[in-house]
Parts: sequence; C-alpha cells; structure tokens
Amino acid sequence: METYITLAIAILAAPIFPGIILKTKAYFAGKQGPPLFIKYFTIIKLLRKGSVYSTSTSFVFKLGPTVSFATALIVLLFFPFAGSTPLFSFHGDIIVLFYIMGIGRFFTVIAALDTASPFEGMGAAREVFFSTLAEATIFTILILFYRLTGSLSFAEYFIGENQISLMNASGALLLFVIVALFMILLTENSRVPVDDPATHLELTMIHEVMILDHSGPDLALIELGSFYKLFFYSAFIAHIIYPFTSANGVVNGLIFYAILATVYIAIGITESIMARFRMDLVPQFILTSFALVFFAAILTMGILQ
Amino acid sequence: MMDTFLLSLTVLLAGGIYALLTYRQFSLMKAGYVAITAAGSLIGLYAIWGPLQNGIVVTFSTTWLHLFTLTFTLDSLSAFFLIPIFGVCPLAALYSFHYMDKAEQRGRVAVNYFFLTLLIISMALVATADNIISFALVWEIMSLSSFFLVMHEFQEKATRKAGYIYFIFTHVGAMFIFAAFSLAYSYTGTYDFLSFADMPGGIKIIVFFLALVGFGSKAGIFPLHMWLPHAHPAAPSNISAVMSGVMIKMGIYGIIRLYATLGVTELIFGEAVLLLGIVSGILGVVYALGKHDLKKLLAYHSVENIGIILIGTGIGMIGIASENMVMASFGFAGGLLHVLNHSIFKSLLFFGAGAVLQKTKVRHIDQLGGLMKRMPTTGKTFLIGSVSISGLPPFNGFVSEFLIYYGAFHGLTLSGSSFIFTMLAILSLAIIGGLAAACFSKVVGVVFLGEPRTQKAAEALETGFTMTLPMLFLSTACLVIGIFPEPFIMAVFQGLKSIKTLQLVGTDEITIVAGNLAFAARLLLGVFLLSVLLRKVFYLKKEISRGSTWGCGFTQPTVKMQYTGTSYAMSIVDFFRPFVHIRTNYSGINRIFPGRTTYESRVDDIAETTLVDHIVSPILYLLAKLRWIQHGHIQLYIGYIIVTIIALLLFI
Repeated sequence: METYITLAIAILAAPIFPGIILKTKAYFAGKQGPPLFIKYFTIIKLLRKGSVYSTSTSFVFKLGPTVSFATALIVLLFFPFAGSTPLFSFHGDIIVLFYIMGIGRFFTVIAALDTASPFEGMGAAREVFFSTLAEATIFTILILFYRLTGSLSFAEYFIGENQISLMNASGALLLFVIVALFMILLTENSRVPVDDPATHLELTMIHEVMILDHSGPDLALIELGSFYKLFFYSAFIAHIIYPFTSANGVVNGLIFYAILATVYIAIGITESIMARFRMDLVPQFILTSFALVFFAAILTMGILQ
Repeated sequence: MMDTFLLSLTVLLAGGIYALLTYRQFSLMKAGYVAITAAGSLIGLYAIWGPLQNGIVVTFSTTWLHLFTLTFTLDSLSAFFLIPIFGVCPLAALYSFHYMDKAEQRGRVAVNYFFLTLLIISMALVATADNIISFALVWEIMSLSSFFLVMHEFQEKATRKAGYIYFIFTHVGAMFIFAAFSLAYSYTGTYDFLSFADMPGGIKIIVFFLALVGFGSKAGIFPLHMWLPHAHPAAPSNISAVMSGVMIKMGIYGIIRLYATLGVTELIFGEAVLLLGIVSGILGVVYALGKHDLKKLLAYHSVENIGIILIGTGIGMIGIASENMVMASFGFAGGLLHVLNHSIFKSLLFFGAGAVLQKTKVRHIDQLGGLMKRMPTTGKTFLIGSVSISGLPPFNGFVSEFLIYYGAFHGLTLSGSSFIFTMLAILSLAIIGGLAAACFSKVVGVVFLGEPRTQKAAEALETGFTMTLPMLFLSTACLVIGIFPEPFIMAVFQGLKSIKTLQLVGTDEITIVAGNLAFAARLLLGVFLLSVLLRKVFYLKKEISRGSTWGCGFTQPTVKMQYTGTSYAMSIVDFFRPFVHIRTNYSGINRIFPGRTTYESRVDDIAETTLVDHIVSPILYLLAKLRWIQHGHIQLYIGYIIVTIIALLLFI
C-alpha cells in the first residue's frame, strides 16, 4: 500500500518542484515570481490546445514525446521513494533504467531531426554528445556503488541490507558522488550552466531547441517527462544524502520531500548565481564530474583490500 | 544428425550449380536459387536443433588425397554459430531477387550465386572443422569465395582496389593462422585439435596470439579492420550483409574455439582480448560517426560490434582466470548472443542501405533525406535496426549488452589489474552505447527524416517485395529476441557448454536474469502502448493543422539549411582528435560580396595512414632499391635459380 501511495504522490507532485526553482530565481532577482503551481497551469493549458505539425515531419515526430514520457515514467516505478518498497525491482534494474532513458533520448533526438530545422539539428547534436559524456559519469557511479555494496538496483542501494549511507566507513566517497551527480543532474535536465531553459535565443539552446516545433498535448507530455526526469535525479541525490531507515513512512516522506526541496533550491541558486558556459566548456564540466567519481572508484581499491 | 547437416550442404551446393546451369533464364534462375537455398538452410537449421537442445556431439570424417583425414564435428558451440549462417544467408539470397535486377548481367549474377553458395558451405564447415587440415582447407575456400563476391562489379576501379586490399588482409591473416597451427603441429605431432591442450604453456600463448592476429584480421579487430570499410561498400549489399553479418563472426568463432581447445586459464588471454575489444569498440564507432558513405559507416559499425563481442569474451576469459564463474558465464553469454544479434541487425541495416542505394544511386548521406515518406517499409525497418544496434531496449541489442554488463559488474569484486580492466570494460560499453546512439540518430535523421536534400532523394520509391520482406522478417526478429529473450539466452548457455574450463552458473540464476530482462522489455512496451493511448485521448476532438517548420523568424528556408550529418557528428569526432585525423578544406569568405564558398572535411583512419606511412612506404622504398635484380634478362633469372639451388644444397 505504502508503495502505491508514495508512487502516486511522486507522480502527482513532480510538477510542483520546478516551481520552487522559479521561486528561488525570482527571490534572487528581487521579484515575486510565478505561483508555485505554475507548471500545473502550463500542463492544463497545453492539454486543452490542439497541435500544429510541420509538413516536413513524419510519424517519428509524433512518436518522440510519447516515448520520452513513457521512459521517464518507467524510471519512477523502480525508485524507492522515501525508503518505501518500489513497485518493481530486480538485480540489475539500474542498468536497464539508464538504457530506457537512453531510448527516450534517442526518440527525442530523431523527432527533432524530423523537422528539417537547422536549429533543432544543432540541439540534437549537442544533446547526444553531452549525454554520452554524462553516461561515463553515471556508470562510474554504478561501479563505485557496486564496489561499496555489491548491489545493482535502486531498491538494493537504498533499502537493501547493504545500504548506501554517508555514515558508513566509506561514506566520504559519497561526497564525490553527490557533487558529481548534481553536475550530471544539471547536464541531463538542461539547466544552467549547461543549458538555459529560459533562453529565447535558439542558437544557444540544447534541449529546449529540440522541442521548438512540438505543441499542444505533445508538448505537455514532453514537459511532464522532463519533470519526472528531474524528480528522479533529485530523488537519487536525496537518498544518497539521507538514508531512510525510520519505520515510520510519514516521517520518512516528510524528510524526503524536505531534502528534495533543498536540492531544487540548490538548482535555483546555481541558476541565479552562474552564467551558462560557452558551448566548448561544457565537455570539460561533464568530464570534471567524471574525474571526481573515477577518483572515488579508484580509492575503493585501497579501502576494500 | 550429421547426415542431415551434410544433406543441407549438398542441397545448398545443388542450388549453386543450378544457378550456373540455368543462367540464361534470369528470373527462373533467381527464383530457383532462392528456393533451393532456403530449403537447404531450413534442413541445416533442423540439423542443428539437436545439438542446441541437448548438446549431442556428432562427428564426420573422410580421407582426402589418401593422405589427410578431414574431420568435422558438430557440437553445441558450432551449432550456435551455424544459426546466423543458416538464418541470414537465405534472406540475403531472397533479397538479391529484386536487388540484382540487371538481366544483361545474368552470367555474372549466376557466378555471384555460385560463390555465395560456396561461401555459405565453407562457413558452415569452418564452424564444424575439427582438425588442422580441414580447418585450413575450408578457411581458404571461405576467404577466396568471399573475395570473388566482393569483386562482383570488377569493372570499377574502386572495387578492384577493395578486392585487392581484402585479398591481402585475408591472406596475411591466414598465414598467421597457418603459422600458429604449424607451431602447434611441431609440438603435438598430430593434426587433431584435441591434442592442442597437451602443449606446454608458453607455446600455447604464442599459438593463441599468432592465431589471434589471423582471426582478428577476419573479424575486423582494430587495427586489422582496414579491409572492412573498403570491401563492404564495394560489394553488392546482399553480399555486404552476409560478410558483415555472418562471415566476420567466423573470426570470433576461431578465437573462442581456440581458447576452448587450448584449455588455458591465464589472465593474459582475457586482458588482451578485452583490450582489443575496447579499442575496436570505441574507435570503430568514432570512425563510423566521421564517415558519410552509408555503407562505409555500417562497415565501421561492424568493427564496433566486434569490439563489443570481444569485450564480452574478454570479460568471460578474465572470469575464468579469476574463477569468478558468474562473471565468466555472463560475459561469454553476452558476447555470444551479440554474435547472433549483430548478424540480425547488421544484415537488416545493410539491406536497408542497399535499398536506398538502389533507388537513389547516392552513397553520401548528406545528399539524402526525407526517405521515410517515400520508402516507408525500408525506413521503419531501418529505424528498428538502428535502435537495436544502439543497444536500446526493448530490442535484441540490449539483451546481449545487458548480459555483458551483468558479467562485468560481478567482476568488480576482483582486485588489482582485473578490477581496472573490468571497470574499463563497463565504461567503454557505456561510451560505445552512447556514441552508437549518436551515430544512428544521425543516420536515421539525415537519411530518412527531414526534407530530401537532392532531387534523386526526392524521387526515390519503395523497393520490391523480395527486398522488403527480409527486412521485415529481420526487424521482427530484433523485437522478438528483445521481448522473449529466454529461449535465446538458454541456447547461448547450451553453446557455452563446449568450453570445458567454464563452469556455468546454475540454471536458476540464468532463468531469473532472463526473466527480469523479458519483464523490463514487456513493461517498457506496455507503458509505451499506454502512453500512446493516453496521447490519443488527449487528442480527441482537437484541432490539428499543418504548417512549415518554425524557422525562428526566417521566411525563406531551403532544404540546404538542414543540419548535415557532417556537422552533426563533428563535435564528437573532434573530441577524439588524437586518435582521429580530420582534414578540412575551407575556401573561406574573403570579399564583401562572397562568391562560391566550399567546405569539405574528411576523417582519415589512423590505422590506415600509419600502415601506409610507416610500413608500406618504407618497404616500397627498400624494394625499389632492389629493382636492379629484376632486369628482364631471362638467362640471368635462370642463373639466380641455379645459384639458389646450389646454396640450398650446400646448407641443408
């Protein structure tokens, strides 16, 4: 029962959190900012509309939003939110899930190329490049976690016998992971300093430019998918920061959403105090995250022997 | 069982001879050949059913020239490698019905069919050969018949050059294999493969690495892959599909079979194979990104996939060396299943490339575009092939890659160099996966999506049904293996029983892993279908209109403004610059009213340039110094011969 409740809350609450980022940014800019529930309004507005399709496009263009939404949703089904048992879980699911996110990206990219727009092609090229680099960091984190716990699934990491925790003997290594994962979160979810979701110049965009031609319910699906993706990465970080061991589900839930909000505020602060990188600095940014976790993984050779 | 197997080969041979005899009736010849080849292959598939189900081992031997014994053994490992041979080759034959449509070349097509038959038979015999003589014999037949297949369009200079390069590589490779075998023979004194296990350890290492060079040049391991990007574009597409999908796997078969026969467990074998796999995998896909010729690009992807197979095999070997049997079992299983998977999606992609080539006559991907609307079946099946080769769920490529990951992650508990190698294997698999997705989003996006960039692409039409049928069949196979992986994984583990040093993990664990994979694939498909339904509901009674693509305020868009494959891949290729040579030629803009501006970029294969600059050129230079020996005076030539004979008589 707890499984279904936490999952339902996660799916329903995911669109609130981007509102927190907007509020944080507004606070830094000295403005009042849009209401916290702005993203719900956006989704409802989009769902009411019809769509305009480019004459250049084929069925692939319509497949893009659906696949990216479906893949983002599946990942949530495997995640132990606030330490509750996830809906599904098996040994090795984490590899499958990152590949499932890969297929979501693949279809987003080819949907962008389907429009025959030079801008969308450029965004697509950047997206595949940066995400390939990000994949190296993610798999190094998985390697590190396997060295620490011998686990290959979210449930084993966070609610298994060999829980991942900052308090453990090797907890210091997790600090590297948290920093690296936060950098990957910024990259994969097209946030500043890698990408700017609020920009109006198509030439400088990555993810936003790929969805320029989508409209109506299709765009709503894409938006929802990206909220879920961001929610997943933030929840991942939240679970590494605080291991949920308490038997009381409600307490766990409250702590979880508090930490989650902190992560989103951190994103908002990052966006407020940083400018976006020049495009050729982005690979270095991602490789820095890789270097951090690679270093941590090498350190395990000394610790575990 | 062996009788059935031999019967299938006889039927296949009959098909080849039939083609030669009836070449005057072009369509009849093609139809008859396809039917006979299909029948022979079906008999062959029936023959390997037994060994794959319960591991029966059957042997057949005959004497040749009253001197040698030829022995052929069909065990479960051979049977597994026979699946792609008997599965893909008849589809390639069917595909050729509409693909080879020039009636004026009927004689040449018949010869092509005959050699294709020889290739199929020799590959089947390579996979079953059980002593040195029989292996060497059928290996040579395989190399020569495929050489003649590459030379199909011999009037073109590029084809002759490609054939020549292939000939050199395949024969230098064969020489290394023969060297390895003769070294082994000098220690064992028999032709039998079984006696290989009795050699001293040091000799085993030399034999293995000599043969690795030979098998590697057939499989296309970096840096011995150079013939692939030349031979595949030159050969007809049905032949490319057979060569890339099936024939290069014979190199992999050789490596695994030799490893099993030698019965070695040292770490060095696994580490060397793994390292070769990592290099081939990453550089293969990077070069593929840099290439603009559709078939050349696919050829480099073969290098990449051979790399993935070798990573799996290497993980398996390291697992055996460190007695970590979970790692060993799943590493080998992933590598072996990838052999089958690659044969499916690679031949599918070559079929698709051939269809595009036949209808547009354009090889350069930047001159294509928008073919999804004109060639829907080719486009959709090519899309499925692309997703599969990128290793994405729910298709078959992911199943084999997952097994390799599973094995590799369980090897992370090792210490020292094994840990480093295993970690590198996982990282390179992740990077290869990302780059392959980048490359195939490029191919699908530039060739099949968007707007046609040239008139030829705009006028393309869908191909004949014998060409689309194999593509439909293969793309279905991609999905079926992805969603019902259990029987295929079981077949792989049955095949692995031939490796005696490997103690396979229990059936329970295999069933659980296979079941989880099947569950994930079906869940993905289910959620996807639900999302499609959800989208349908959202679009009920909605106004749908069509317009042109948003040009960011620009009102005069042309198809030339589309992002090209070159620019799509450039930033990634540039990232790997020390390992990739990029040559650009840009005329620049230097007047107020710019004239015609040109930009050209080429990506050179570092292995090829190194070979030419540092090996071939010095040798040619040296040999030019010896030119005076060859002067054309026949009496002096005879003098050379006499001097040589006298010298030999004195010394020996």
